[in-house]
Amino acid sequence: MARLRKNEEIAVEEANVLPVMNIMFLLIPALLLAMEVASMAAISVSPPKFSAAPSEKKEEDKEDKKQLKLKVFVMEDGFRVSAADQQEGAEAGKAADSNAPTIPLTRDKDGCQQRETDLFGGPRSGCYDFTALEAKAKEYKAGYPHESIVTLSAENTIPMQVLINTMDAMRGTDCKLMVEGDELPPECYFFQPIVEAGAG
Amino acid sequence: MNAEELFKQKKKLKKLARRGKKEEEASLGMTSLMDIVSIIVVYLLKSYASDPVLIQPISEQKIPMSKADSPIQNGDAVYVSSKELMFNEKKLVALKDGELDENAIKNKHLIQPLYDALVEEAEKSKQMAEQLQQDWEARLIIIGDQKLKFKTLVDIMYTAGRAEYVEYAFCVIKKG
Repeated sequence: MARLRKNEEIAVEEANVLPVMNIMFLLIPALLLAMEVASMAAISVSPPKFSAAPSEKKEEDKEDKKQLKLKVFVMEDGFRVSAADQQEGAEAGKAADSNAPTIPLTRDKDGCQQRETDLFGGPRSGCYDFTALEAKAKEYKAGYPHESIVTLSAENTIPMQVLINTMDAMRGTDCKLMVEGDELPPECYFFQPIVEAGAG
Repeated sequence: MNAEELFKQKKKLKKLARRGKKEEEASLGMTSLMDIVSIIVVYLLKSYASDPVLIQPISEQKIPMSKADSPIQNGDAVYVSSKELMFNEKKLVALKDGELDENAIKNKHLIQPLYDALVEEAEKSKQMAEQLQQDWEARLIIIGDQKLKFKTLVDIMYTAGRAEYVEYAFCVIKKG
């Protein structure tokens, strides 16, 4: 093997990383643009005829249990809540009383009236009482712990945000469905919404 | 550079040439920069790959806020802003004051352009699922606007139901 002369040095070729760097720098803004800035979630909703199709076994189990048939109708002046085809707060001897909401609008707090005015695009006399609705859901859940379905409907002019807020209240604001384990947390009330047109 | 400095540099070069050495060149150390950039790219790629459906709101759209925490599952996405209804990056129907154009609606609830687009997409998805030997999920993700009226929402769901979609999900921004 030939010996290297004293003055000669082994030439080490360095990898040219510039093209790689160029690609990397282009990838960063491209990926940043494609990324979601806000954290997204989904609310699964069932249409009326497909939602109530549980397995046969479940059907048998439910036969022994009383059906709640909880319905919430969102009106411009509040919520109408009915269970087992009987509206809450309806006049004596009537199954429903379309003139009166079960939970009427409440007084303005934390600027909710302005927010709802923006959503409706017109002046509002108060705010939806989601706290009272959630309390009502809790009350029903205590009586029917096996139930998780609620049928929601609304007047044609109700904005989507109000419908979503109603779903949140019926599910329970502290409800976390993405928890480990088979058991659902007790703070989850009615988390399977069925959206129905023109029910009430 | 003045004449004296130029002379000194030339002298230095001659000296180096005599000794058989080349002039030393300063090089930029790229290794640490490469490390940082690689880590960022890997992180971004990973977060990009973890989303089954990429939601990119369209103009004039305010997605509703919710405390729901369920992740978005795979499905076909319909975007509805206060001005337009979009599917597969195509504007299908115009909206005025949160309501659909009357000419696009048939039989009170059916949105004809959306129905045609959904039927076509459903066919494609079914074929794809068949090739992959999987069941078609038949899920529609509705990315609506905060001000979207309930009537419009019902029309969209009715149209999707007619196009054989059986599962619906409302896309929301996680709150709190």
